[in-house]
Amino acid sequence: MKRLENFFKLVLGILRELGDENAYQRHLALSDRKDSREEWQRFHRGRLQTKYQRAKCC
Amino acid sequence: MKRVAGHFVWAALSVVAALSLAGIALNRGEPINSIWLVLAASCTYLLGFRFYGKFIATKVMALDNDRATPAERLRNGHDFEPTNKWIVFGHHFAAIAGPGPLVGPVLAAQFGYLPGTLWIIIGGVLGGAVQDFVILFSSVRRDGKSLGQMAREEIGKVGGFTALLTVLLIMIILLAVVALVVVNALKGSPWGTFTIAATMPIAVIMGLYLRYWRPGKVLECSLLGFLLVLLSIFGGQWISHSTSLAPLFTFSGVALAVAVIVYGFLASALPVWLLLAPRDYLSTFVKLGVVLMLGVGILFVRPEMQLPAFTRFADGSGPIFAGKIFPFCFITIACGAISGFHSLISSGTTPKMIAKEWHAWPVGYGSMLLESFVAIMAMIAACVLQPGVYFAVNSPAGIVGGTPAAAVATISAWGFPLTAADMAGLAQDVGEHSLFYRTGGAPSLALGMAHIFAKGGGGKAILGFWYHFAIMFEALFILTIIDAGTRVGRFMLQDLLGHVYRPLGRTSWLPGVVLTSAAIVLAWGYFLYQGVLDPLGGINSLWPLFGIANQLLATIALCVATTIFIKMHRSRFMWITCVPLAWLVTVTFTAAGQKLFSSDPRIGFLAQADGLAAALQAGQVAAARVAETQSLIFNARMDAMVCGLFLVLVTTILIDSVRIWVGILRGTREARVTETPFVLSRLRPEEL
Repeated sequence: MKRLENFFKLVLGILRELGDENAYQRHLALSDRKDSREEWQRFHRGRLQTKYQRAKCC
Repeated sequence: MKRVAGHFVWAALSVVAALSLAGIALNRGEPINSIWLVLAASCTYLLGFRFYGKFIATKVMALDNDRATPAERLRNGHDFEPTNKWIVFGHHFAAIAGPGPLVGPVLAAQFGYLPGTLWIIIGGVLGGAVQDFVILFSSVRRDGKSLGQMAREEIGKVGGFTALLTVLLIMIILLAVVALVVVNALKGSPWGTFTIAATMPIAVIMGLYLRYWRPGKVLECSLLGFLLVLLSIFGGQWISHSTSLAPLFTFSGVALAVAVIVYGFLASALPVWLLLAPRDYLSTFVKLGVVLMLGVGILFVRPEMQLPAFTRFADGSGPIFAGKIFPFCFITIACGAISGFHSLISSGTTPKMIAKEWHAWPVGYGSMLLESFVAIMAMIAACVLQPGVYFAVNSPAGIVGGTPAAAVATISAWGFPLTAADMAGLAQDVGEHSLFYRTGGAPSLALGMAHIFAKGGGGKAILGFWYHFAIMFEALFILTIIDAGTRVGRFMLQDLLGHVYRPLGRTSWLPGVVLTSAAIVLAWGYFLYQGVLDPLGGINSLWPLFGIANQLLATIALCVATTIFIKMHRSRFMWITCVPLAWLVTVTFTAAGQKLFSSDPRIGFLAQADGLAAALQAGQVAAARVAETQSLIFNARMDAMVCGLFLVLVTTILIDSVRIWVGILRGTREARVTETPFVLSRLRPEEL
C-alpha cells in the first residue's frame, strides 16, 4: 500500500514538475513570498521567457 | 543467493531477447504477434541499460556521486535545481518525445516491419542512448552548457558556428515537415479540422483561467482543457454530419497550408501565456497519457502484424518515399533510434536538474530507450493495418493513380489486395469521406491506434472517436512545436542578424520581431507549400531532407562527444561514439549523395529538376501546367541546395574534429579539458 502511495506521489510529482507547479512552490519558498495572482504572473513571465527560448524536440 | 538470482534473471532475459529477435527476424510468410516485438525490444533495452549503459557510466565517464553537479553548485530555484531522478526522467522523456518517433516508423514500415524494428532496437541501444547520455554527462560537467557552446569550446569557433547554423536550418525543415503532416491529416476532414481549430480557443480559455481565475493551478486547468478537447471531438463529429456546417470546415491542402502559415506567424507574436504555454501543458500531459494508453493497449490486445517482415519495396521503388532500405530506412527513422535533436535537450534544461552524476544514467540513457520503445509501438500500430489499407492511406495520387479505382488496382497489383468498398467502409467507420492519399504517416498511425483501442473495448462503434482522438493528440503537439519553433528560430535569427544591424538583435524592438518572425515563417512556409503542391505527396522529398538534417546534427553531437572522450584520456573507448558516428556519416552522406545525384527522378532532386525541365523544353507540358512545372523545378533545385549545404556544414565540423583528435593523439595539441573543477557534493538524499 505504501509503495502504491509512493508511486502515485511520484507520478503527481512528475506532472507538477511538467506543469511548473513545483517550480512555483520553489520560487515562493526561495523568495519568501506568498502565493498571489501577481506573484504567479511575475513567476510565470520569467519561467516562460526562458522555456520558449529553447527548441522543442521532434 | 541474491547475486545468483540476479545472474539467473539477466541470463533469462538474454535468452528471451535472443529468441524474440530470432523469431521476428527469421519468420516469413505467417503473420506474427506484436508481443514478440515488445519482448525483443524490452529485453534488449533492459540488457543494454544494465550492461552497456553501466559500462559507459563506470569505465568511460567514471560518474562520481561525490562531485557536486551544477544543479547543486549553482542552485537558484529556477533553472538550476537538484531534482528527484525519476521526476527528471519524466521531464526529460516528455521533452524528447515528439512526433518523430511516431511518424518515422510508420513511414519506414513500407519496407516491412523488420528493417525499421531492428534499426530502432539496435540504433537505440548503441547509438541514440549513447549520444543522449554522453552529451548529458558532458553538459553536467560543464555547468549545463549547450551543444553549441560545447562545440565551440571543445572543437573551435568554426564548430560552434556550424552547429548554430545547422540547428537553424534543421528547425526550418522540421517545422515544414511536421506542418505538412498536420495538413495532410486534416485536408478534406471537417471532423479533424473542427477539433484542431477548437483547441485554439480552448488554449486561450486555459491561458486566461491560469492567469486570472486560478493562478498557478496548472494541473487543474489542464484537466479542464482536456475535458473541453474531448467535447470538441464530439462536436467535430456533429459538425461532420451537418450539411450546412461541414463545408465550413472542409479545406484543401493548399488552404490548410496557408492557414497553418498564418497561424504560425500570429501565434509566435502572441503572448506565450495566452496560447502557447497552456496548449504546451495540455499537449505534454495528453502525449504522456496516450503513449501509456498505447502501451497498455498493445499488451492487452496483442494484435497480429499484418505487414510482412519485408515488402517488395525493399528494392527502392516504395510509393511513400523512394530509395532502398540502405540508406533510407536509417534516415527515415531518426527519433526512436538516434536523433541529433535530443542532444539539444540533453544540453538544455535537463543537466541543470541532475542532482547526482549517476542520475544521468537512467535519465540520459534510460529515457532514450523509452522513446525507442515508443517508436516500436508506432511500428506495431502501423503494421496491424491490412497492407492494402496502409499503402492506400500513405501513397500519393501521383504514384497510385488519381481515383480510388485506379489506386485500388495499383495497390492490388503490388500483391496487397484491396477493394474500393473496403476503403469506403473504413472511411465511414472513422467518420471521413475518404482515406486515400493521406500521406504523412499521421492518419495511418491514428488508424492503427484506433484499431488497437477499439479492440480493447467498444469495437467499430467508437472507431471514429479513437481515430479523431489520435489525430487530435498528434496535431496538438505538432502545433505547439510550430509555435515554439517559430519563436526559437526568430531568436536565433535575431541573434545572428544582431551582428549585422544591432537593433535587429533586440527582442523588444517590434519591427525586428515582426521582420524576423516573418522570415522564419516564410522559410518553413515555403517548404510546406512546396510539399503540399508536390504530386509525389511532399513527404518523398521533405522527410528524407529532415532525416538527413537530424542525423547530421547527431554527427555533430557525436563529434563533440568523441573529442571530450579523447581529451579525458579515454581514447581507448572512443569506439563507443565513433562506431555510431561512422555509421551515421556513411548513412547520411550516402543518402544525401543519392538525393542530390541519383539519376532516378523520384530520388535525385537534380534528376527530377532536369527531367521536368527537359519535358518543358520539349513542349510535353500542357500550357495550364507550365507555371506549376516551373515552380516544381525551382523547388527541386532548392531542395538540392539545402541538402548540399547540410553536407558542407557537417563535412566542415567533421574535418575540424578529426584535425583535433589527430593532434591530441599525436601529442602535437594540448588535451585541455574544459570541465568545471571538482567540488565535493553536500547534497543529502532527503533534500530531493
